[in-house]
Amino acid sequence: MAKYWARANRIVRFQINRMPEQIKLSDLLEQIQDTIQTSFEGETYWISAKITNVKKYETNRRCYLTFEEYEGGVKTAEIRAVFWANYYSEIEKFEKITKQQFKNGIEIICKVKVRFHKVYGLNLDVVQIDLAHTLGTIELERQQTLERLLKENPTTIQLFDGVYRTLNNRLPLPLVVKNIALITAPNSDGQRDFIQEITKNKHGYTFSVKEFLTTIQGDTAHKLILDQLHLIEKSNEDFDVVAIVRGGGSQTDFKPFEDYELSKCVANFPIPIFTGIGHDRNQSIVDLMAREQKTPTKVASLFVEHNFEFENRLIELKTMFFDLVSEQIQNAKDDLDNAKRIVKLSSPQAILNRGFAIVTSNNKIVTDPKNIKENSEIQTLLRDEIIFSTVTKKDKNGKGIDL
Amino acid sequence: MTYSEAFVKLEELVAQLEEGDIQLNKLTAKVKQANELIAICEGKLRTIETEVNEVAKSATARKKKKNE
Repeated sequence: MAKYWARANRIVRFQINRMPEQIKLSDLLEQIQDTIQTSFEGETYWISAKITNVKKYETNRRCYLTFEEYEGGVKTAEIRAVFWANYYSEIEKFEKITKQQFKNGIEIICKVKVRFHKVYGLNLDVVQIDLAHTLGTIELERQQTLERLLKENPTTIQLFDGVYRTLNNRLPLPLVVKNIALITAPNSDGQRDFIQEITKNKHGYTFSVKEFLTTIQGDTAHKLILDQLHLIEKSNEDFDVVAIVRGGGSQTDFKPFEDYELSKCVANFPIPIFTGIGHDRNQSIVDLMAREQKTPTKVASLFVEHNFEFENRLIELKTMFFDLVSEQIQNAKDDLDNAKRIVKLSSPQAILNRGFAIVTSNNKIVTDPKNIKENSEIQTLLRDEIIFSTVTKKDKNGKGIDL
Repeated sequence: MTYSEAFVKLEELVAQLEEGDIQLNKLTAKVKQANELIAICEGKLRTIETEVNEVAKSATARKKKKNE
């Protein structure tokens, strides 16, 4: 037994003597940190990458994300990144100006600093986003979509003097808008604004509004809106117009309304479409294909005013009609009065009243003096008396009625 | 007889009277006929006027009621 322990102690001593030299992990990472700092301290770099794993913390004003790069579908680079509180405003600026959400999958160009932390590892601190690049990309995509719409739908989408004329936005409106199909997000400001304006309109008009509720924002919004349009088209209800509205905090997500398929469907839709998707400065492609009114309230107000214009035209027509009828009745009265006057003046009694006489012979009115011979008996009717006479002489009346 | 029929006949008679086309011995009968036509026209015109005024009044009343 003593032999055994002596041998074991020899082996342990041998192994301890043979252990490699070691340093602490923190020492190593500090060396890495120093090396990185030496190389990258104070330097900033513009990079182009796709963003993923975006986690925004609005209350802390921080955003964590991952930058990725792909070549031929294969990921070639990846690194974690962060917007610290003092640069969080870059995200807000991005969303406000580009009308796009800062979300997974988009490509951005941004300025970064390299930072290494012994606990948190290697990171890029984002200090600026190149908005011009993003805007340029959006504009390029937009132009490509518009060109495709024109090219692939030549009979229903045309461009005249910078204005898009589509089958839909040229459809005549009915004289009175009554039945409305409303596409909007449930419990949204847009829905509330539209319904309030339409139901509490100052003229007291009543409308029938059927709601087609769906998500208006996000990656699949364009498909969901398309689904609602198909439902409306297949519906047995006779809609006069379609209103697509959104409002409130939806300023950032403009993208669904730039989608080719949705824009094409709107341009070719058989019922007039009005958009009020809550943005003041820019027009989406869907706006261009339909009739744009900027806000939900403005769309509703347009329907009310359209009906008010019709009512005014009706009142004008009614006034004009009754004026014409009155004029016609007055003309008839005047014509009748004129006829009465002529008839009255023509009566035999009126003739006698005016001092004329009627000559009769053998109880017949003498209209032709040739029928009266000399020595014949005639009667002269005056207003109050009859004079009986015998004709002694006849002569031509050379004076006419010049008495 | 409608207003138009009566008035057309009246116009014919008036034209004859104005032209002096009527024999004096037929004048009384023609004047009598004209007066009958005038009475028909006046009666019809009065009815039409009353009816039109009633329609106009009811249209205005409907609008007022709607605005209240």
